[in-house]
Amino acid sequence: MKKLLHTFLPACLLAGAATASAADELHIYNWSDYIAEDTIENFEQATGIEVVYDVYDANEVMEAKLLAGRSGYDLIFPTARPFAERHIQAGLYQPLDKAKLEGLDNLDPVIMDSLASIDKNNAHLVPYMWGSSGIGYNVDKVREILGDDMPKDTWRLLFDPEIVAKLADCGVTLMDDPTEVLVAANIYRGADADDFSRDGIKAASEVVAAVRDDIRYFHSSQYINDLANGDICVAHGYSGDVLQARDRAAEADNGVNIAYAVPSEGALVWTDVMAIPADAPNPEAAHAFISYLLKPEVIAPITDYVAYANANRAATELVDEEIRNDPGIYPPEETQAKLQVTPTPSERQIRALNRSWTRVKTGQ
Amino acid sequence: MKPTSARPSTRHLIIAVPWFWLALFFLLPFLFVLKISLSEPTLAQPPYMDLIREIEDGFVTLVINFSNYQLLLEDSLYLSALWGSLKVAAISTLFCLLIGYPMAYAIARSPLHWRLPLLMLIILPFWTSFLIRIYAWIGILKANGLLNNLLMGLGLIDSPLAIMHTPLAVYIGVVYNYLPFVVLPLYATLIRLDLTLLEAAADLGCRPWKQFLLITLPLSMPGVIAGAMLVFIPVMGEFVIPDLLGGPDTLMLGKLMWTEFFSNKDWPLASSLAALLLVVLILPFVLLRHFERRSEEGNP
Amino acid sequence: MSTARQFKPEEPWQAPEGEPIVRLENVTKRFGAFYAVDDISLNIHAGEFFSLLGPSGCGKTTLLRMLAGFETPTSGRLLIDGQDVTDIPPYERPVNMMFQSYALFPHMNVADNIAFGLKQEGMPKSERQDRVAELMSLVQIEPLAKRKPHQLSGGQRQRVALARSLAKHPKILLLDEPLGALDKKLREQTQFELVNIQERLGITFVVVTHDQEEAMTMSSRIALMHEGRIEQVDPPRRLYEFPSTRYAASFIGSVNLFDGYVTEQNDDQVRVQCDDAGIQLEVRHSQPLVPGMAVTVALRPEKVRVIHQLEADTPNQLRGVIKEIAYLGDVSIYHVELASGKRVQFTQSNVQALAEQPLTWDEEVVLSWSANSCGVLTE
Repeated sequence: MKKLLHTFLPACLLAGAATASAADELHIYNWSDYIAEDTIENFEQATGIEVVYDVYDANEVMEAKLLAGRSGYDLIFPTARPFAERHIQAGLYQPLDKAKLEGLDNLDPVIMDSLASIDKNNAHLVPYMWGSSGIGYNVDKVREILGDDMPKDTWRLLFDPEIVAKLADCGVTLMDDPTEVLVAANIYRGADADDFSRDGIKAASEVVAAVRDDIRYFHSSQYINDLANGDICVAHGYSGDVLQARDRAAEADNGVNIAYAVPSEGALVWTDVMAIPADAPNPEAAHAFISYLLKPEVIAPITDYVAYANANRAATELVDEEIRNDPGIYPPEETQAKLQVTPTPSERQIRALNRSWTRVKTGQ
Repeated sequence: MKPTSARPSTRHLIIAVPWFWLALFFLLPFLFVLKISLSEPTLAQPPYMDLIREIEDGFVTLVINFSNYQLLLEDSLYLSALWGSLKVAAISTLFCLLIGYPMAYAIARSPLHWRLPLLMLIILPFWTSFLIRIYAWIGILKANGLLNNLLMGLGLIDSPLAIMHTPLAVYIGVVYNYLPFVVLPLYATLIRLDLTLLEAAADLGCRPWKQFLLITLPLSMPGVIAGAMLVFIPVMGEFVIPDLLGGPDTLMLGKLMWTEFFSNKDWPLASSLAALLLVVLILPFVLLRHFERRSEEGNP
Repeated sequence: MSTARQFKPEEPWQAPEGEPIVRLENVTKRFGAFYAVDDISLNIHAGEFFSLLGPSGCGKTTLLRMLAGFETPTSGRLLIDGQDVTDIPPYERPVNMMFQSYALFPHMNVADNIAFGLKQEGMPKSERQDRVAELMSLVQIEPLAKRKPHQLSGGQRQRVALARSLAKHPKILLLDEPLGALDKKLREQTQFELVNIQERLGITFVVVTHDQEEAMTMSSRIALMHEGRIEQVDPPRRLYEFPSTRYAASFIGSVNLFDGYVTEQNDDQVRVQCDDAGIQLEVRHSQPLVPGMAVTVALRPEKVRVIHQLEADTPNQLRGVIKEIAYLGDVSIYHVELASGKRVQFTQSNVQALAEQPLTWDEEVVLSWSANSCGVLTE
């Protein structure tokens, strides 16, 4: 799952849906900054298909457009859980014509197996990028406050009221995302990650409420800058974003030393996938684009650019060495063992989650 | 519309145009919203159920669901958001008036050749995008923004003031953005004010400050009310400014509606929130007209 | 109701020892390079009904506004009841004004408008109500107390404005074209009412008007203004019968003017050689004049007698031909062309409905008037 940058921007985009396309026109709807700079141009030159490329900053915005109907898009990039999962249930995607797709066997079987649990026989989805969410922190400052024996890889940095109170002046932030935060809270309190029962949500909300007054803000992207500038000490964030903050600080040479940790209690992993809406005007071209992205030599530079791991095993060796060896992007085996896929709440549970979240955030 | 004569005339046609406009672009969309608000959410395209459903073999039934409204009234979250919006709208309107009134007054009383340039200065910000203006405020208010850097540079403060992501930032953004909507109608009222009325008041022993309170202020009430409405109503549903400048504890209807519509995919609840907002906004209008009519009739 | 007033018994301006209630000392008001009021000195006495008369732009309204305090003189002093008020703001002056537009407060009803000034001075409510009732009865608008100004007719508004300006017992009431917005019939009726009220209350009225008839009817004295200066200050009759300047003579009523020069003066009589008239005119005049001095003889049309033949030993006879007749009902105006081509106007009352021998076009007539009936203007 990617950042929820500024949520209203895509709301504006909602107004003007793509118009019906000509035969050789492909309408793509993807996250912002989620593809290499020359990918589209190269594809157009290789195939002669003209691409109309729109971007969003939140799954919800893409979803609202999809649900409203006749979005006009041929290819979208939802996060697998819970978005693509429920779209498949609602019949919003068309099955892939695998005869038209080359290189499917290059895809990581672990990821494909995991996706098969929400997409029977991998009929609709092709994985794109994946990553985890965990804790980004300012190594030196946190050590200064908590001492050398500080906890590094635990949700206690975000949810233990005693620790958070100590770190409050330095700055602790949480994502503005009910599923991410409340599931993390569930893991922290030792419950099942997917305990979305009334009591489960209530207990998770109480975990957040207990530290709420010491949380500087709830935001899903602001922390990138603030971590890099040394304005905050601990942030709940996506792997790629924290690593981006680390690199920015290094570039600025400002003495800020950022690290990303996957909490030992467990953390969430997410996968963004490609899917073709049922009412796509030009599924033919969409298949062509998926095929193009399945080429290892195409997807590897994208990973270099966006700093997220792709799902293509054949591409890993083509990825820039620095990225390939970054445990934050391509985590080692022991870290992978701690990762679990984002559980999917039911519709009713989602609403309960969101409403409870608004309450916690606003201190109601 | 009540026709006064059997034969349709040009006058009726002319009156019909705005009615038609309202019906097409206000009433009809609102009926859609109302319809959705009486429905139930479902995972489909579109994500709500039809009110009229075929049960079996051509048996059709109408299912109206009031539970959304029930939830709005039962769950304190929504009433708190309504209260939050009312609070922000009321306080912003007050400050817009407090700042906008002297501005409008100064422009209306300035020499003739100054008025147009001054009015242009009020309108000028509208020539840049609304979003750019809000982002500019982020640049001014943030921890290492213009304001804090200036104050720290002058040695007035040691650590940055926390203004961004606070209610204060929301008020600043709202008041800044909506100020012209107060200044313009107030200017229009004040420029029409007969200055001999002030002379008459002065002549009858009224000092300048009381002239303002007893004559200028009551006679500019139409402008005050128009300006207040132009601020209060849109701020009630404001989403962008609290989202960008406000903090997580800024609870307003606009943001809640966003959550219901996008995060929860609960179009029916979002629609019933919209309907609630409309009722809250229309009520003062109806009351105002009622009192206006009464005060007209109260005189022989 | 009294007709045009007789001020004979009390003519306060004749008593030099009496302290005037309004005193203007060399008052000048300049707007940029424009002199709205140019070095005016003037005394107005208690109880007067004083009119400032002149065409628009003559400075009369500016003068009034300076009395009210809305304008500050550029130079000069202004005293009211012996107190220098030059720099006193309007809300501290013992004067009130009735505005040309009436300036009624549109958001207050009639009673509140009238009570406004009383409220400002902190009069207790019961006393205030009595005073308002008294004023409404004075101007006969009792039934209108609860109406708003926009629900009143022009005449009613005028009465409300009058009542409001009288409420505080001002020492001086300033009235700016008080009847200007009324139609002719209402205006004539209201003129007398104004005079009546003024006499009953004994308040000094200073009225600005451009209507000479109005000024003549109501005023104890009239200051005739022209281009920021005062041409003449006199009671209406004097102003009419003995204008001191050509401007004064021609502004009020109609006048025939004969330019000429003095040939001789004895006792209270001067002889003026007028080329237009073709003869020497005899005029009664007591101020000394030098022979050869250029003067103008002024003759009011109604002072002219028509005869059919020249009479012996009678001065001031002119022969001419009737060229135009204007029948106005009560009077007729005749234009007579003299041999020199100059036209002379005279009027005749239409005493009979059908005159036996009415004057008619192209009829040759002789015009005659006595030396007492005309005047000499030196300016």
